[in-house]
Formats: sequence, C-alpha cells, structure tokens
Amino acid sequence: MYKWLSVLSMVVAAQAAAEPVIIPAGEYKPAVLLDETVEVVVMPAFKLDAAPVTYAQYLEFVSENEKWQRDNIAAIFHDGNYLKSWPGNEELPAGFESKAVTQVSWFAARAYCDAQSGRLPTLDEWEYASNYYLQQQNLSDKEYAQMLFARNSNPTAYSKQDVDANIEHLEYMHNRVNEWVEDYQLLLTNGDNNDLLAGSCGDSARFMADFGDASYATFFRYQSRSNYRPQSTTSTLGFRCAYDMEK
Amino acid sequence: MKNLIFALSVMLLGSGVAVAQDHSQHNHHDHKNHTTFKAEPVNKEHSIYHLDGEWQAHTGESLTLANFQGQPVVISMIYGSCTTACPVLVNDARRIFEALPEAYKQEVKLVMVSFDEDRDTPAALAEYAKKYNLGDDVWTFLHGDDNNIRALATLLGVRYRKRSDGDFDHSNLVTVLDVHGRVVERVEGLNRPVEDAVNALVKIIDENHLLHH
Repeated sequence: MYKWLSVLSMVVAAQAAAEPVIIPAGEYKPAVLLDETVEVVVMPAFKLDAAPVTYAQYLEFVSENEKWQRDNIAAIFHDGNYLKSWPGNEELPAGFESKAVTQVSWFAARAYCDAQSGRLPTLDEWEYASNYYLQQQNLSDKEYAQMLFARNSNPTAYSKQDVDANIEHLEYMHNRVNEWVEDYQLLLTNGDNNDLLAGSCGDSARFMADFGDASYATFFRYQSRSNYRPQSTTSTLGFRCAYDMEK
Repeated sequence: MKNLIFALSVMLLGSGVAVAQDHSQHNHHDHKNHTTFKAEPVNKEHSIYHLDGEWQAHTGESLTLANFQGQPVVISMIYGSCTTACPVLVNDARRIFEALPEAYKQEVKLVMVSFDEDRDTPAALAEYAKKYNLGDDVWTFLHGDDNNIRALATLLGVRYRKRSDGDFDHSNLVTVLDVHGRVVERVEGLNRPVEDAVNALVKIIDENHLLHH
C-alpha cells in the first residue's frame, strides 16, 4: 500500500514539473525594431515553459527559499505588494493553485527561474515564441488581435482563469497574464521625456516594422509591458521560464 | 545632419571634451554611433547589497557586492572595448576621487562593473586597470555573468542593450553608495561637475566617523 502511494506521489511530482517546450531555431522579424539595421533576428533553439508558472509551483519555490517569502523579501526587490493576496508566507489564496501566479516582481521571477536552472526569456525569445505559438495554433493576425483586445478589455478576469501546468505544447501566450521578460526595460517609458528607444508611444510606433492586422495589438502589448518597473507586482503580470538547450 | 554630427564630434574630441553621445535629437537612421540611454529612477531607501551574485575582480579575487559594505563607494558600469563614453566614465570616477580632501581618499572605493561578460575577463580588466594606472587599493573592476550584470544595472537604473556588433548601448551614470549600499547621489551624463558626489562622500565619511578608524 505504502509502496503504491509513493509511486503515485512520484507520478504526481513528475507531472508538476512538466517538461518545457523546445522552440526550434529560426528567424524572426521583430514587430518593434530595437535596431533599425536588424530587421531579421536569427534565433537559436531554446526551451520555454509551456504555461505560465502557477501559484502551486510558486508556493513550492517559496517553501524552499525563505528569503522570497511574502514577509521576508528584501524591500528593494518589490513595490510593497509582493504576493499581497496570500494569507501567509506558505499559504495560497483559496482556489488559486492552478492559476498563473501574479504579484511577483521581476527580481522574484528571475529568482524562481534561477532555482529551476532556467532564466527569464529575453524579449526576443518571448516574441519569437509568440510567433511560433500563433503558427502552431494556426491563428490569423485578426484572431490574434481579437484575442489580445478581449483580454485587455478585462485583464483581471483573464488572469484568474486556470492554466494546465502539465500541458505539452506552448499555451496561454496571450490569454492569461502579461509576462516578464529579462530585458523588458529596453522599452521603458520615461513619461514625456522621450529618449531614443525609450519606448514612448511615439517611439514604438515609429519603430514598428509594418502595419498589418496584428500591428496595433502588438504595439499595445509592447506599450503595456513598458510601463513596468522591476519592482512592479501587479495582479495581471506573471511569467514563465526559459532554458538553454543542453550543449 | 550626419555630417553635422560628425563635424561636431570631431570638434569636441579635438578640444578634449568628451562627446556625450546624446543622440536624443538626431535622426533615427544613424546607428553607427552608440545610443545613450537615459538612466531610470531608482529606489534610494534600500541597499543594493541584497544582490548576492558572485563577481570576479580584476585582481582575480571572487567577491559579492556586500564586500564593499562599510565604506562609501563610487560605482559605474562600463565595458572595456568601449572607446567613447567608458573612458570618460572611468575618468569621471577618478575626478570625483581626486577632488576629495586628502585624508578622505583612503576611505573611498571606486568600482567599475563591466557589461561585457564575454570580452571583459578579469585578465582583460586587469590590463584595462593597468592602462589607466589605477591603484588596486582604490579601484576594483568587476567581471560578472549576464544574470548578475542585468540585476545590478536594474537596481542602479542603468539601462543597456547588447548590440548585434557586440558593443553596448548604455546609460552614462556614476552612482555614490553609502556604507550600507544605498544610492545617495547619481551623476548622469559625461564629464559632469563633481561637487555633489564629493560632498556626498564627505558627508558619509563624516557621519560614520570613518576617519577615526
């Protein structure tokens, strides 16, 4: 009996740590050009979590890393609202196990991925994976734009939908939460004080590579990402981790 | 426009004045020069020494940033193969140091952190330090991995981006940290007046009675 229980728990544990998805090498045309001389970026293969990190997975991380628990996190790493909805350091809000974790700062997201021997995806990796996802799902530019605007019309409702942490293909890129990327700061806005590539609205629009059906939706997405600070812990911002391919 | 900028650059270089590389006004098609990113605002209440990553000094020694705790620090981020803004940033740190009252100098550390994990090995940084004739007791040049570099830059409010040619676009920022690693003064831009940084350092040393030790 005990033997069977332990086997069962091993199966459950194996499921909790679902394999990341391989994003094959290829080329991608950034929607917003950070470097006008580089219109096509050559991307090596890498691995990406199929789904955003869930509350249950994040709980496991903070249980093993006390300094990232709600009451222990260093003040410099968050804006005061880190895991604010959690009733305790190791206690999830009721019913949130399978939702994408939010209220996590950039620093916290990085620490989580580091603990999984991963890292946050770069902006290029995330956007490239998004293109790959849209192709896999056979979504037209219009459908993608509709998906995005639907979420942005009520982001809190979307962020509270469950995610399947055991899914085997890339999912939830645009219909759960916004996601941290490693170098999101490249498109930070400075209010009216717009310097080159700082990501003011005007800047992003000027740097857009083309203006198809998907363009405005993508522009909108870049802009909302650009409003974060590394300490931001909003209730609609989560993350997933990337991993290098084994050498 | 390009020619005008080029001519201005030559004039400024010729007169020994650092070119601040402020491209905020120029047209976006000229990417031959590096872009200067404006620095981000930062949290000044808390210590950056919470970052616990490991770094290698140009002397070969391994350390964490918390090693600098207990004395004021002048910190900036550069890369070794940068021939425009970076030597000016190094010199700006030196100018701050040299403007200190003599007795205060030994209480201050100057820390230059490289953006360039690949090229700026500790050995390459040692060469760099030697070229600038900077004593090891005052200067520390740090090599780290991309992960630690990104985290430190973020806390200091230094924006940077690795370009496809291997060089970096970055903010030009010299920061003064107090004995706890909190940001107390930031000098943004190149070849700026040093008074505020010097006054901040003197104040930290006085308030912590470091001269009596």
